[in-house]
Amino acid sequence: MITIRFVVNGALQVLSVAPETTLLGALRNQLGLTGAKSGCEVGDCGACTVIVDGRSVNACLMLAVQADGCTVLTIEGLATREKLHPLQRAFEELAALQCGFCGPGAILSAKALLDVNPDPSRQEVRDGLAGNLCRCTGYTKMIDAVLHAAQELRAAPTSAATHGER
Amino acid sequence: MRSFEYVAAGDIRHAVQLLAEHGAEARILAGGTDLLADLKSSAHGPRLVIDISRAQALKGITLTPAGLCIGAMTTHTEIMRSALIAEHCPVLAAAAHTIGAVQTRNLGTLGGNLVTAVPSMDSGPALVALDAQVGLAGSAGERRLPLTDFFRGPRKTALKADELLIDIVIPATSLGKPAAFLKSGLRKGQALALVNAAASLWLDGKGRIIEPRVALGAVAPVVMRATDAEQFLAGRPPAPGVFVQAGALAAAACKPISDFRASAGYRRDLVAVLVQRALAQAYAMAEGRT
Amino acid sequence: MDSKPVVDGQRQAELQRAATPGVAAEHPLRIYREPLPAVFPAELRVPEVRLQTPAVGQRATRPDARLHGLGQTRYIDDMAFPGMLHARIKRAGVASARILRIDTREAEAMPGVMAVLTGRDIPVNSFGPSFQDQPVLADDRVFHAGDGVAAVAAVTEQLAADALEKIRVEYEPLPAVFDPLEALREDAHQVHAPANNVYARKVIRKGDVETALAASAHVFEQQYRTQMVEHVPIEPHAAIALWDANGRVTLYSSLGRITLGRADVARTLRLPVNRVRLVGTIVGGNFGGKNEITQEPVLALLSKKTGRPVKGVYTRNEEFTASTTRHPFIMDYKTGVDRDGRILARKVRLVLDGGAYCSWSETTLGKAAILSVGPYRIDHLLVEACVVYTNKTMTGAMRGFGAPQVCFAYESQMDEIAAALGIDPLEIRLRNVFVNGSSSPTGQVLDSVVVRESLLQAAERFGWKEGGA
Repeated sequence: MITIRFVVNGALQVLSVAPETTLLGALRNQLGLTGAKSGCEVGDCGACTVIVDGRSVNACLMLAVQADGCTVLTIEGLATREKLHPLQRAFEELAALQCGFCGPGAILSAKALLDVNPDPSRQEVRDGLAGNLCRCTGYTKMIDAVLHAAQELRAAPTSAATHGER
Repeated sequence: MRSFEYVAAGDIRHAVQLLAEHGAEARILAGGTDLLADLKSSAHGPRLVIDISRAQALKGITLTPAGLCIGAMTTHTEIMRSALIAEHCPVLAAAAHTIGAVQTRNLGTLGGNLVTAVPSMDSGPALVALDAQVGLAGSAGERRLPLTDFFRGPRKTALKADELLIDIVIPATSLGKPAAFLKSGLRKGQALALVNAAASLWLDGKGRIIEPRVALGAVAPVVMRATDAEQFLAGRPPAPGVFVQAGALAAAACKPISDFRASAGYRRDLVAVLVQRALAQAYAMAEGRT
Repeated sequence: MDSKPVVDGQRQAELQRAATPGVAAEHPLRIYREPLPAVFPAELRVPEVRLQTPAVGQRATRPDARLHGLGQTRYIDDMAFPGMLHARIKRAGVASARILRIDTREAEAMPGVMAVLTGRDIPVNSFGPSFQDQPVLADDRVFHAGDGVAAVAAVTEQLAADALEKIRVEYEPLPAVFDPLEALREDAHQVHAPANNVYARKVIRKGDVETALAASAHVFEQQYRTQMVEHVPIEPHAAIALWDANGRVTLYSSLGRITLGRADVARTLRLPVNRVRLVGTIVGGNFGGKNEITQEPVLALLSKKTGRPVKGVYTRNEEFTASTTRHPFIMDYKTGVDRDGRILARKVRLVLDGGAYCSWSETTLGKAAILSVGPYRIDHLLVEACVVYTNKTMTGAMRGFGAPQVCFAYESQMDEIAAALGIDPLEIRLRNVFVNGSSSPTGQVLDSVVVRESLLQAAERFGWKEGGA
């Protein structure tokens, strides 16, 4: 077993993990953060997307030991029920969530995109979501939601900037 | 995943030493996007996983007198965002952009993509079109190979059991060379290439093509150069008809397979079209039109 | 908060009046309600009957979307119970074979492996929504490569997976059939002998198709084929079973049809239905693929054997090989038309590749047959449809129940006829579509038909021009 220290959703976590434990496994099974889903286990579906040191990654393709010393943001760290992140509000209001299974991953991919590109084109949003498969929505509403949230974040960056940062 | 032992190699020497000790029982963990998917499905995992993702010497992009040196652990996203790449060989950024999706590009590394040596890899053709070389470090020291000699077959490379791919060098003579990369998959995002192709060329004082390179992926056991097409292009004045003919020569020279993604015939047709377009794009760059 | 009922008595009468065709325009409906988010209009006008319901064009938010977006929705794999074990199922990997021997001793001896199950442990080893032709775990015969032959419950998923490799199954290979047309032949391997490979038929006759074909100015004949499609829900099939000390079993499952599933589980376990509690959870994508039980009886029995909760989650591989898929269709169309492109007669033959088990094939067959002639007025028709067993992954319900496949065929043929006769593709459809009072292939007289209007509106909206520009 290997001891890792990392910051998850703002709190320092110290875990003892087997070498073969994936980051997804550690988050879900050891920290109870089940927002990241296991959909394909090979990096195709993106349901396990989390943000590690500012980069979106498939948590199923990363060993937990690789996250040692890193800062991890999962969907649970993005907002609370009372105070949604603009992306979550847009996904909800623009019907970008149906069964919801891909939602947390897609929202975090969108956040990672908007963090580096606050004013993306429609094509850039499509590119940013290409690693998140959704079988319900047909993506159109997700893309609309990301563009909508981007606009809102640009208009009032401070209201949302406090969300999910470290 | 089956259990294994894990060691984070601090530097190149440490990684090479571990490889020399454990040989075939060890696997290198770079970005992990191929390795972990592989380990999850394989019945016999390695005994040891050597994590080189913390070895600083394997990271970064630097301009040297010999050329542009890209550390093996440089991720596809870093290549896409690098100012040096954008200035000296933007075709690599274009190729990197077509690999997987954002999440894969954030973890996956250039070195990992080359070592996995899947025939459809997207970083190979652009590098081959720029005459890239690779640096290998082993117990016996370091050596440098043209990338075309590095690929030995599907998932086979020239790496010896105790060797590690450390860097990729775009020779100084290729920096700024007009080049284009095109890929065709079953969809745009996160798809394996049915065919990918890269082309590069210089124009001489009289506007004729010199040092043309045509490289193809997914249509042979390894990334291949279409030498017939290159010989045909050399010394000719660029023209749409010339590019069409070069495409046809490349299509004739490649050896695609038929599988559930596409038939060999369809892949051949794609080669003809992609080569023609890549040449036209490279020519447009040479003329300063883009 | 305003406690006024949503619709009071007086309004009830108004509502009724407004719903009567012809009165709607003069009597706008007012619905009194609590204030709702601004996206809901406070006043709703009832549009003309048949054109639109008040719901169309309104934005509605899903009540469950909030928790989805927060990542707080609990899907099966997000649940855990103290002492919970993880189950995995060994898949046959061969398409057609007799099982001679299953040796589970080595697997059972592994530390951490708590129970192993084979087909012989299943009280009633068959299930299915129409025919009970599918074993829970194959005991005597394997009918397709995704058949489960044994199951393991262990303390970790990896251990369960490792144990599967220690289970040795000896097979005697049997002939197999993979092509549905081949399966129709009399000398073909009969998948479920002595039963015939054709396990359901549907024939629809109307008028005199042969005479009408003979009298047609042009006859078009073409075969169309569609492929097998997997639903690929992003959430794989998942369930948790808890067998309690009183002999009752509680199942949490990502199952769409829990009432039917409950009866099926009770039957396979030979339990009265009141001993089975089936909790349907939020499903992470169904699309028809989660409409019947899969591993639930296996998990229940593993839980019974171990006295511990047992969770099973399909691998992505199993989603493709061991869950239902959309039927591949082979569709022969013969259509007679007059000089103006009016369809006079249509003969359709459908062969559905039913895979190894019936599942929802009967339902799919019926719907496909009825819809196979398209939304067109055709006086003379003959539809002969059948579904056949093959030694492949079973096919079942998927969005549309066979409607998309036949739509691909009849609309493709419409375009071919239009092209051959030089008629605009929109125009040829307008000449043939159902109108009020048309009768369906099975004789139902249709009311409220707006095919023509829909086509014209669609053509206008996407700018259809003759010649297809």
